[in-house]
Amino acid sequence: MMHSRTLSALSLVCLFALLLASLAGCGQATEAPQAEPTAASPEAEPSAGQPTAAPTVEETAPQSVVIVIPEDPPSFNAIVADTGYDAMVMELTMLGLTDIDPEGNIFPELAAELPTVENGGVALDEEAGTMEVTWKLRQDVQWQDGKAVTADDVVFTWNAISDPATGTWMQGIDYIGGVAKVDDYTFVISYTGIYPGYLTQFGAEQLAIWPAHYCDPAQGFTAWDCARTPLSDGPFSLKEWVVGDHMIFVRNPNYYRPDKPVIDQIIVRIVPDATVRKTMLLQGDADVDVWTTEPIVDDLKDKPDVQVSISPHPRWVLRLFFNLAAKGTVDPVASPHPILADVRVRQAIRMAIDVDTISQQIFYGYGTPVWTELFRPPYACDIARPEYDPDAAAALLESAGWIDQDGNGVRECHGCLNAEEGTPMEMELITYAEFGEPMTLSQQLIAEMLGKIGVKFQLTVVEGSVLWATAADGGIEQTGNFDVDLWDDGYSGTDPTDFLWELYSAAAAEPDYGWNISRWINDDWNALLDQAYTLDEAVRKDVFCQMAAILDDEVPSILLFSVINADAHSTRLEGIQSTTFDMVTWNAEEWSMK
Amino acid sequence: MSQTAGTATLTPGAPARVTATSGRTAVWRRFRRHPGAIAGAAVLGLITLAVLLAPLSPYDPEASDLSVRFQPPSWQHPMGTDALGRDLMTRVLYGGRVSLTVGVLVVAISLVIGVPIGALAGFYGGRVDSILMRLTDIFLSLPAFLVLILLSAILREVDAPLFERNNVLTIGLVIGVLSWMTFARLVRAAFLTLRETDFVTAARCAGASNRRLIVTHILPNAIGPIIVEATLGLGYAIIEESGLSFLGFGIQPPTPSWGNLLSNAQEYLTKYPWLAIFPGMMIFLTIISANYIGDGLRDAFDPHKVLKKVGEV
Amino acid sequence: MSVYLIRRLLQTVALLFLLSIVLFALVNVAPGGPLAGHGQSRHVRPERAAILMRQFGLDKPLPVQYVIWLAGNDWMRVDADGDGIADSYGTRKGILRGDFGFSFRTRQPVLAEIGQRLANTIYLMAVTMLVALVIAIPIGIISALRQYSATDIALTTFSFAGQAIPEFWLGLVLLLIFYAWLKNPFTGEPLLPPGGMYTLGAEFALLDRIKHLILPVATGALGWIAWYSRFLRSSMLDVIHQDYLRTARAKGLSERRVVYRHALRNAVIPLVTVLALDLPYLIGGTVFVETIFAWPGMGRLYYQSALQRDYPMLLAILIIGAAAIIISNLLADVAYAYLDPRIRYN
Repeated sequence: MMHSRTLSALSLVCLFALLLASLAGCGQATEAPQAEPTAASPEAEPSAGQPTAAPTVEETAPQSVVIVIPEDPPSFNAIVADTGYDAMVMELTMLGLTDIDPEGNIFPELAAELPTVENGGVALDEEAGTMEVTWKLRQDVQWQDGKAVTADDVVFTWNAISDPATGTWMQGIDYIGGVAKVDDYTFVISYTGIYPGYLTQFGAEQLAIWPAHYCDPAQGFTAWDCARTPLSDGPFSLKEWVVGDHMIFVRNPNYYRPDKPVIDQIIVRIVPDATVRKTMLLQGDADVDVWTTEPIVDDLKDKPDVQVSISPHPRWVLRLFFNLAAKGTVDPVASPHPILADVRVRQAIRMAIDVDTISQQIFYGYGTPVWTELFRPPYACDIARPEYDPDAAAALLESAGWIDQDGNGVRECHGCLNAEEGTPMEMELITYAEFGEPMTLSQQLIAEMLGKIGVKFQLTVVEGSVLWATAADGGIEQTGNFDVDLWDDGYSGTDPTDFLWELYSAAAAEPDYGWNISRWINDDWNALLDQAYTLDEAVRKDVFCQMAAILDDEVPSILLFSVINADAHSTRLEGIQSTTFDMVTWNAEEWSMK
Repeated sequence: MSQTAGTATLTPGAPARVTATSGRTAVWRRFRRHPGAIAGAAVLGLITLAVLLAPLSPYDPEASDLSVRFQPPSWQHPMGTDALGRDLMTRVLYGGRVSLTVGVLVVAISLVIGVPIGALAGFYGGRVDSILMRLTDIFLSLPAFLVLILLSAILREVDAPLFERNNVLTIGLVIGVLSWMTFARLVRAAFLTLRETDFVTAARCAGASNRRLIVTHILPNAIGPIIVEATLGLGYAIIEESGLSFLGFGIQPPTPSWGNLLSNAQEYLTKYPWLAIFPGMMIFLTIISANYIGDGLRDAFDPHKVLKKVGEV
Repeated sequence: MSVYLIRRLLQTVALLFLLSIVLFALVNVAPGGPLAGHGQSRHVRPERAAILMRQFGLDKPLPVQYVIWLAGNDWMRVDADGDGIADSYGTRKGILRGDFGFSFRTRQPVLAEIGQRLANTIYLMAVTMLVALVIAIPIGIISALRQYSATDIALTTFSFAGQAIPEFWLGLVLLLIFYAWLKNPFTGEPLLPPGGMYTLGAEFALLDRIKHLILPVATGALGWIAWYSRFLRSSMLDVIHQDYLRTARAKGLSERRVVYRHALRNAVIPLVTVLALDLPYLIGGTVFVETIFAWPGMGRLYYQSALQRDYPMLLAILIIGAAAIIISNLLADVAYAYLDPRIRYN
């Protein structure tokens, strides 16, 4: 028995060693693994000309706001991973050239004013089809370490983004010829074409300006350490980040607005479970819950201590996309979809879906019905809402040659356009899992509604990483391996051009070249899209609305309704406003506690 | 067949009686004396019956009725209704079909893979044993649950004829492929012990082929621990499936399974607790019954610890 | 002895190598990829996808990717800027030199992130196992000593129940009871915190740490308590009827001495064996507890990485998990071989 005893002793010793080691280890866990920016010196003297902030008379305890989110931001560089949480923390600490308010109005941040054609900031060369934009920066913005924010930082940021090895793609990057410094606070961006989105390219939710003297260009834009330990020029600066647990932000005394921010400290806590976040909000342990979903918003509506801020304009719209090519193929001409290639079938399906019921029942009435891509300002188009008429839908299907002759409740092809005689009207409706139960419930309801008019759907739920993978990785959308696809999407900012190109243009129908997963190709529509690259807003609106009309006729996709963009918060917190154009921290400097 | 050993009971005045201590009737008799096991068998039997009779329910598990969403338990809906107004009891019973099928499938696959491997390794020993045990070691070295997540992500998307996406078969296969090792070890240990026994030597001398020895002589004597482990394995498989479904990697909606019913009920835990209570209760009852049955079987097969299980002194 | 040791070491290395290939294949075969847009853009812009492929090293055939993962690419020329000309050296050293690559999600070195999370998971599991043992051993002893009594039946029922409750369900229910429903009668605050390892901003306070441990440990330990108490019970029962204990009793030793000095010591041994073999399984088993109680551990990291197909992270966690299992088995085997000469010469 001796050997067993020794072994047991050994094991116990190992166990204890492990325990001790881990307890010792967790002592270090309190320390942030990320060092604070070494250059940070909160006691730096404000530059001349900036009024020193008058200290408040009463010494009150530092005002803290606690924000709860489900996962860590991967970095402070929002454009790299675009999870939203990165944009959230970027908004707290860094500035872009411009930003967008909840109504869709663009306002300057680092820029002194918005350059337009009228004020001479934009020089259009109509003949060559190019333009030059001259930006003037504010002269009173400083980095956390006291150095001024200058045009050098902008050029540095541009060089880093456009580096072919370590950079990334940003909207409109192909249109930029170069960024040149004129003087410390002026620079010129030259465009190789007319790019309407020039105002928000280097700002809004997408991009911030990075410090040339602090970030290491050798590490590359996508991976540099200053995206994890940022040097702040915004209202707050990062004090501590324990990955997986929390982040602490404190007021930046060098912020260019003298009496902002009002709040002293913002704590971001990582809490993966939505129910726990809601409970924390109700208990007062959290002040802001980001991206609150409809069921929880509905739960909170009667609570006296909690309010929900809803953005005035929605972004995410639930939509069904039809595959006009046969399932598993991508060429709608060579192998048209036996059922869906017929526009009458698509129109019938649209008529048979009771959007109001789904929105009210599953989304608690917080969704607004949407039926065209162009529904947001400033390009809201006047398209008539499609009717909900299941009887008319059934009649349309009959006339399209889809008749249920054998009485089993599912139609078959009898004289239909593309399918063989007798083909049953059975398809697969696919959606993705990460959205949660409301999406899968909507999928089930839609299938039921369509089942009532004789269209049978088999339901599948897949992971987002499979649905949206590249064709090489077996991505379902890219390989066309679906019949009907239900998911939510919407464009950021105010410019729908890129979004429309991605989803509906002819070039985008090529696998891994774009996301026109319907493989819908319409020459008129593509011609119109080309015309949209102009700075004339009236022309743009007109063009967009014509495109919207074509989409409405051809129905390559059905838009259902928008989902809420809301952030629940404690009633003590004032000044907070949700917006589709950014994360809720877009105006964190204005927040105050009652 | 299994050999019979006997003990003689001597009571004064009565003729000596030999009662068997092993053999099928003896096992059954000992099992019967185990109240927990009987209760477990009854409960599991009831659950299986209910689940098989699910199609008799007047409600369609998939048809929605938006006018009766989130109803608490009542006479019309003994377990209440869910987010789409569907009768929860019907969905729980259908979910039971899925979960129990997965459980049985997992055990079947584990047996089909594990028993032959263990038998061959234990019987032949030497080189064969070495190779087969290396194989077992490889599988045992994988961090089981992590690989489970990965495998289910892979196989779930397979669109081959038998394996439509999200099929019960795929999940069962995935879990089974990672659970056979216990059986292999068990059977190997049993074979190692049993192949040296007298009756096997006798059979060998009588000219029985290896195959006959394995299948007809030794295996039936090893059945005991296999059955015990299989019962416990059923419980384990159901927990794994529900855990996977809870994380979103197992059976996907709209097919109900106890695991994904629980997962969907998560956000309604405070408002509509019955959505979580009933599927959770079914999982609980099934597993605890399986455990009691396994415990009873263990005592029934092994009153004197004739065959030692792996890990026991 | 040293021959045996060397042989086992070589086998371990071979096993690890083989496993690395299997795991690498598994991870890459999983449909879907890291380029599927996550977060706000559902779709990755194709231009960006091309850049990402290059930066992630996914534009190479799988076997080449495996070699790079293993041995790095700083010894070969790569096309870093996408112009088709391989004109710069790579930057990766490969896992053989300790470079596990960078996470696709955060672009940060994988090992750094795992290290922190691993420490947190080990901390949680160590406390859970300790608590489980401290409770399971007395239960097992009492159960065995009073076999078939009412106490035994009650404890047996409890242990069966404990093994039958799904961990994730239990965690949620406990959270609701102790955080949302029950309140401290004096302060009106919730009894226990909803998650995390410690209260923010506070100094290291033992009581605070304990409060944050209670619910996660209770959720995780229940199953282990049930399992180990059963195991110990059966182990004790085996030992208690042995002859040498009868001798001890005959010698006049008190029952208590017999139980604690002799029986228990020998009954615990198989438990420790099982414990040592169970330890590596804890690496995957904490996913539920970590997700529900916001514990920044490795289980949750793996789950997130799986959803987003963060290959380097997944591979690193899998390999480390497998290595932990293999190495602990190796240590156990070597210890046995050291103590039992028969095994060496098998």
